[in-house]
Amino acid sequence: MKIEKANKELKKLYGSRVRAGVKDGAIVVSGELDNWDDIVNACTICVDKKSGMHVVNDIRFTGGEIPKMREPEEEDKSLDGGEPDVLVIGGGISGASILRELSKWDIEAWLVDKESDLAMQASGRNDGEVHPGVDLGKGTLKQHYVLIGNKMYEKVCRELDVPFERFGQYVGFESKWLRPVLELFALQRRMIGVKDTRVISGEELKKREPNLNEDFGVAIYNPSAGCVCPYGLTIAYAENAVENGAKVFLNTVVRSMKTENGKITEVVTNRGTIRPKLVINAAGVFADDIAQMAGDRFYSIHPRRGTNSITDKKAGRLIHCIASVKTLKKNRTHSKGGGVMRTVHGNLLVGPDAVETYEKENYATNRESIDVVFDKQEKTMPKLSQRDIITYFTGVRSPTFEEDFIIEFGHKVKNLIHCAGIQSPGLTTAPAVALDVEKMAVGYLRQSGEFVARNADFNPIRHAVPTLNEMPDEERNEYIKKNPDYGVMICRCEEISKGEIIDALERPIKVPTLDGIKRRVRPGMGRCQGGFCSPLVSKIIAEHEGVDISRVRKASSRSVVTYGKTKEGAENA
Amino acid sequence: MKELVCIVCPRGCTMKIEEKDGEYSVTGNSCKRGENFAKTEMTNPMRTICTTVRTAFDDVPVLPVRVSSDIPKNRIFDVMKEINKTTVTERISRGDKVIENVLGLGVDVIATSDILKG
Amino acid sequence: MLNCDVVVIGGGPAGLAAAISAKKNGAEVALIEREARLGGILKQCIHDGFGLVRFGEKLSGPEYAERFIDEFKKENITALLLTFVTRIVKKEKGFELTVVNTDGVNQIEAKAVVLATGCRERTAKQVSIHGTRPAGVFTAGTAQHYTNLLGQMPTKKCVILGSGDIGLIMARRLTLEGAKVVGVYEVMPTPSGLTRNIHQCLHDYDIPLYLSHTVTKVFGHDRLTAVEISKVDEKLRPIKGTEEIIECDSLILSVGLIPENEIAEELGVRIDSRTKGPVCDGQLMTSVDGVFSCGNALHVNDLVDYVSESGEEAGKNAAAYADRKRSYAEITLGDNISYLVPQRLELGADNSKTTVYFRSRKVLNGCSLSLKINGEEVFRKKYAFLRPPEMERLVLDFSKYELTESSKIEFSIEEGVK
Repeated sequence: MKIEKANKELKKLYGSRVRAGVKDGAIVVSGELDNWDDIVNACTICVDKKSGMHVVNDIRFTGGEIPKMREPEEEDKSLDGGEPDVLVIGGGISGASILRELSKWDIEAWLVDKESDLAMQASGRNDGEVHPGVDLGKGTLKQHYVLIGNKMYEKVCRELDVPFERFGQYVGFESKWLRPVLELFALQRRMIGVKDTRVISGEELKKREPNLNEDFGVAIYNPSAGCVCPYGLTIAYAENAVENGAKVFLNTVVRSMKTENGKITEVVTNRGTIRPKLVINAAGVFADDIAQMAGDRFYSIHPRRGTNSITDKKAGRLIHCIASVKTLKKNRTHSKGGGVMRTVHGNLLVGPDAVETYEKENYATNRESIDVVFDKQEKTMPKLSQRDIITYFTGVRSPTFEEDFIIEFGHKVKNLIHCAGIQSPGLTTAPAVALDVEKMAVGYLRQSGEFVARNADFNPIRHAVPTLNEMPDEERNEYIKKNPDYGVMICRCEEISKGEIIDALERPIKVPTLDGIKRRVRPGMGRCQGGFCSPLVSKIIAEHEGVDISRVRKASSRSVVTYGKTKEGAENA
Repeated sequence: MKELVCIVCPRGCTMKIEEKDGEYSVTGNSCKRGENFAKTEMTNPMRTICTTVRTAFDDVPVLPVRVSSDIPKNRIFDVMKEINKTTVTERISRGDKVIENVLGLGVDVIATSDILKG
Repeated sequence: MLNCDVVVIGGGPAGLAAAISAKKNGAEVALIEREARLGGILKQCIHDGFGLVRFGEKLSGPEYAERFIDEFKKENITALLLTFVTRIVKKEKGFELTVVNTDGVNQIEAKAVVLATGCRERTAKQVSIHGTRPAGVFTAGTAQHYTNLLGQMPTKKCVILGSGDIGLIMARRLTLEGAKVVGVYEVMPTPSGLTRNIHQCLHDYDIPLYLSHTVTKVFGHDRLTAVEISKVDEKLRPIKGTEEIIECDSLILSVGLIPENEIAEELGVRIDSRTKGPVCDGQLMTSVDGVFSCGNALHVNDLVDYVSESGEEAGKNAAAYADRKRSYAEITLGDNISYLVPQRLELGADNSKTTVYFRSRKVLNGCSLSLKINGEEVFRKKYAFLRPPEMERLVLDFSKYELTESSKIEFSIEEGVK
């Protein structure tokens, strides 16, 4: 019924260029359009949540070339013939958390990711908020998991030794008279499970956070909102998984799959062919491409960019919360339009915005995004200034057209679990989703006749690299006495020692690149952005790995930092 | 008439040079050195080179060096080539010669740092 | 716990000069340096041109620094190398510093502190460079570190943004090592480096300089592959339609230096928004009694000779520092001055030979500096030209004027010589 209505609407908007139909249990939208926003709109029109079906976008885009997925340079046979019980595709927060939960079992669990490190895409490029779920509707998977996931954060972060803070979130409104409406809203939120929702007065808000907009008359407050370093948590999950016997293969891209009798039999990568018993698709923006490879494409991802800015820690001292402003104008974007947030490291994070794109890996930033976000957030916090920005970055979200998660077995392929459509609040939900996917995976293996025993040696506790600059002097002193390298300062802005950098090079998952070290122990994250320390870090990596400095990369094997020795270059010229 | 910016000192005077029967007269300079610079610049421009030379030591892969006095501007890259061929194998001091009388130009390439001494 | 009269933070040219001068003036001195070797940024400034004012010789950076290091060693001054200040607290008498080095965490007590912490480079993000984030975007200083200290080639073909001196020096340096420098692009209508550097670093090597241009975008996912250049209008905004893509493997930035004053701020030192360094009096003491500032931490100098000079002044005065009640007369700035140091005068001090450093706001041909006290001109000096990249220095005798806390001391630059 709904599909006819959608087709009528499509006809009105796009003539005969686009139409929708049901095929193989999915709503398939096909045709041809030259404007990407029109394609997103056409597919969104066809969403019919009640049908239980997802929208598949088969509209040919004629307005530009959709770039191919970028592949790593590496090419070898190191994984050829491997037969893991479970193969997780994607090393973002979803894949890494699933791998860690799977490592509780005595099975061979592998994770592959095409990038040079974990959390290189959406999980490394988001704001790190642990959401209270106040903006989510009942009945969605997002809401179901956000309520469970949020509560798990203390335990998870304690086990994995990752900094986590419940700073609380304020959504401010200038109009005081909205209070009765907001009280009703809060009551309704509490009833659907977001139990911490409450309304506070402008005066109260001013007392708690004097640097927010003085004109806020009333605010919604959720003390359960928190923040975490999203790539830090992803790396921690993966490290703990590896400590418990799982394996992580970076720079490993899945290129195709072979299926027989509704089962994936072969997964072809740049490092050889793998024959897993079960595949978990946690491939983020590429989840629908992986589904396609398995012949199980029943949803589509429409990438959505968002840009965040990070300020100097001096500005970070201005607030101790997550804050945003709500105006009565209708917000048509799907994300809540960004906010200002104090990070666990003491900076402010400002953003993100939301822009649809057909480029799944376009992480370029532009000035307009930052202007738009700051224009809005200066209403949240008037002291906010673009002058305090030390860096900015863009991430690409991976929503489905239903804007909800897909956590289910393949429709046509039995040994495939999709963990797809993960976008905000995907970081918050990950710990909870991982537990469910773990159950699904173990259940599947058992059903297919495997004997799955507990991993008797499983240890949920991971120890992070010590953070010397947060220690009391006596403790720091003891660390230095044991290892004098902890007393050699390499990064002046973030106060990171040589010892911490060497520790980062000796982790269970070693990523000996400038970015790999920066994401683990933070040299180069400060106000000079690595100007002073990057040559020093290059040298430490080179010495530790026993290679020439020119072999040290920024991230991928193609990201050359220096081209070799100066004098040799001139001789060849 | 030619206009030149003096590079002798940071003052950077803009000088005017007039040629008359092979003689040069300079205006706009603030000192005698400027006048000398302007005259050589018209006949045989001279420059210095500051660069590094490869060493045999891992802790100091390159050592800063310079020429002991100015060389003809058009020989800069020839001298660079000579320097790039050289490897310092002793822990020499500031002022020590790295290449003596480089390319017969009558100047030496000398170390400008004690860094190899630790 | 180490006890001394004067602790100097920073072992570059300013700190070395300060330590030597404090010692020569009778103080027990300790110098703290976070790197393994003294010399600061001069270690990697292997080009010449240092020391002309001071020694009448054209020295390279290491040669200049090592002359001071030799003297420093001769004076037998305590140097704490590879040592980092993590905390500094003003006590009732003097200061307590917490330092970290391979020996652990230790405390140092000093009666006076000299901040000689230098400056840092503005980054790509601070000048709003957008596009991708590939390898190959370097500040000039970082490229210089790779080239001159590590002997590594950071580029084969590059674009330099900003005509600051380090950028010009690196244009020549990289050319000598066989790299191609496509051009130097400057957003302002006038160069920001010294004229002689434009001449000997760019003209000599046929490297073009494009004024009123900027980099608007960076391309490349792994290593930089190209940059987009645009012309800018008089408000420095990129002009649509003037974009040009230049293929290269590096973008090297020389877009300004910012005094490092993290420690000063921790002590509550007042910062001048124009210099980005501490507000100081004629003795280079900051707004916190007993804390002195010098070198590029005080304001960004273009000549190391003046860095050393301010270090010596700060060191000498730190050695003589004694706690007493102080009162000040503020200096105000009129037309055409972008900044001036000192920002105020201490009325109880000897102000008969006060060194004044200033820069003009724009290029001025034929102008004069005027000093007015309470509205009356008491001093005037003519200049054939003043350029913002070239700092001016003069010594004035303020003791001639009967200054009080309410005195209005104003410097201005008038265009057109009368």
